[in-house]
Amino acid sequence: TAHSDPNPNHVYFNSRGIWATYVIFIFITHFIVLSIPFISMALAWTLTCQIHNVITYFWLHWEKGAPFEPLDQGESRTLTHWEQLDDGVQFTANKKFLLVVPIVIFLLTTFYTRYDQIHFLVNALSLVLLAIVPKLPQLYRVRIFGINKW
Amino acid sequence: MLIFVADADVSWEFSDLIEAIYSAPTYHLVFEGCLILFIVGLLFQHSFLPSKRRGGSGDRLSKAEEDQLIAEWQPEPLVSGDPADEALLASYQRCATSQVGRSVTYSDGRTLVNFATGNFLDFIGEARIRDRALASLRHYGVGSCGPRGFYGTMDVHLHLEEQLAKFYGCEEAVLYSYGFSTIASAIPSYAKRHDIIFADERCCFAIQQGLEASRSKIIRFAHNDTAHLEELLQRQAEHDRRDPKKARVTRKFIVVEGLYVNCGDICPLGELVKLKYKYKVRLFVEESASLGTLGATRARHLRGGRRQRAGRGSDSGWNRECSGPLRGFVVGTKYVVDHQRLSGLGYCFSASLPPMLAAAASEALTMVDEMRGERTARLKSVSDRLHQRLLAELDNLWSVEGAPMSPIKHLRLHRCTGENSLPALEAACAAAADAGLLLTVARYVAQDLGQPAQPSIRLSVNCNHSDSEIGSLLDFLKSYATGLAKKCFQQLNISRKVRPWII
Repeated sequence: TAHSDPNPNHVYFNSRGIWATYVIFIFITHFIVLSIPFISMALAWTLTCQIHNVITYFWLHWEKGAPFEPLDQGESRTLTHWEQLDDGVQFTANKKFLLVVPIVIFLLTTFYTRYDQIHFLVNALSLVLLAIVPKLPQLYRVRIFGINKW
Repeated sequence: MLIFVADADVSWEFSDLIEAIYSAPTYHLVFEGCLILFIVGLLFQHSFLPSKRRGGSGDRLSKAEEDQLIAEWQPEPLVSGDPADEALLASYQRCATSQVGRSVTYSDGRTLVNFATGNFLDFIGEARIRDRALASLRHYGVGSCGPRGFYGTMDVHLHLEEQLAKFYGCEEAVLYSYGFSTIASAIPSYAKRHDIIFADERCCFAIQQGLEASRSKIIRFAHNDTAHLEELLQRQAEHDRRDPKKARVTRKFIVVEGLYVNCGDICPLGELVKLKYKYKVRLFVEESASLGTLGATRARHLRGGRRQRAGRGSDSGWNRECSGPLRGFVVGTKYVVDHQRLSGLGYCFSASLPPMLAAAASEALTMVDEMRGERTARLKSVSDRLHQRLLAELDNLWSVEGAPMSPIKHLRLHRCTGENSLPALEAACAAAADAGLLLTVARYVAQDLGQPAQPSIRLSVNCNHSDSEIGSLLDFLKSYATGLAKKCFQQLNISRKVRPWII
């Protein structure tokens, strides 16, 4: 849709059906993982949780800039996708949604893994480190130890 | 441990899963409880904009500071009462009744020899160009009615771009419709926020606007001083060594003019190209006044520089002076220059060059090609002769700034003649009009950082200026300055008589 924002990354997550698309992607991944015959239910759920956290980490918090040339005169070149969404405004509906989804996946995963210890450790670590902490407003534009700054 | 292989012992019935909740370890339930509380808390958070959004330090003015700044603010008058501007306003009342070519006729009947506007190769008024323009006007109409990407591209544009590319020996040219916006669009389309641009300190206002629009870090080097530029590049290279990751994403540019309109100097292109390859910097040369006026030497430099590699330099010219109707273009390698077809804002979002002007420019370029540099050579010799005579005959009367072969020269009143102020120079121009010469004081926008400390009269030489016209110019300058000097000397003598202890 047409808009006046120089960087489409700011506004595209407000498009109709993006949230549903995101959830459908997760479902598709989960079904693919579930279709692998020899892994157990618990492992399938843990795998889904891990794959989701890792992929969303790279998509939102690692890659900087945009795959196209935005008209913002290079401002978004050093910003991750999370920092570009909604032009830096914190706690918008999109951002709350993206924070809640990994938590919901985690809760479902712990349920389906019957609260096993190892699975819990692995999933909780990836949830906190990869999904929750980078999304907090305290870490907006923060680069720990200068990693991924340029 | 519920791992890899599907285990027959463990039940995956839903009811068993629900029962497993009751036997879940406490730490687990606590963790999950915290997460659910987090979600609930999240739903009640208001959205806010963090103050360090634009990469700034996060400082925000406090209410008290804001109030203080508002109280301190004094509005400026809409029109400044500067008396020097009276002369400028008066010049708007002058009405030309002929084309502003090598000579201009005004409504009061006077015909003045034009040393003020840039008509270096004397193409203004050229019959062949005028006829071609009129033919295009009848064929295409006046305007192109659209930007290049939206029905504004016509065969004349493509033809002119090809011609320009061949003229410069480059792969491709991109045509702009407004000279000022050419360099002001070209620079920001390549240089972005975290890049570095080394710009000459006497660059023209259009370049300065481009530099500002780019949001890059601008480092100015002393005018035509390649030693200073090298020192700055060296310093930057050391910074890069200390932070290689940042250096890898930082683009560096050098921006110079081929022939500086504000000084009349020529840039040391050979040395700049050497620096370009040594420090891996991209070079922008703004050739608005040097197209067709400096001739083969420059072309050799450019071609020589580019033959060594794929050529990451680009030349930009906004040429409204030399071949009259051409508005602006950028030439370079296809990879570099093509970028502007989508990112050059002046190209994408402005209507394209009127086809009549494109056709006329094309004709002018053809003429330049056909004449094989004849007019250029003539222009260089006229400029050189004028320069030698200025130095020889007006030694202590006027000071001349500019290269000998440059068609642009800046004249300032010598110390011995009097104070070189704007009103004095305007008075000189008014006197010149009485003597049949059209001279102008170089005028600058107030925010122009490249304007010189001392005002000057800007002379623009035409290749067809005859010796007699040059002679009359020099005669006027000499007589006017001598008259001024006499008056100044008399005043000094009077004041000496009154106060004899001043030597």
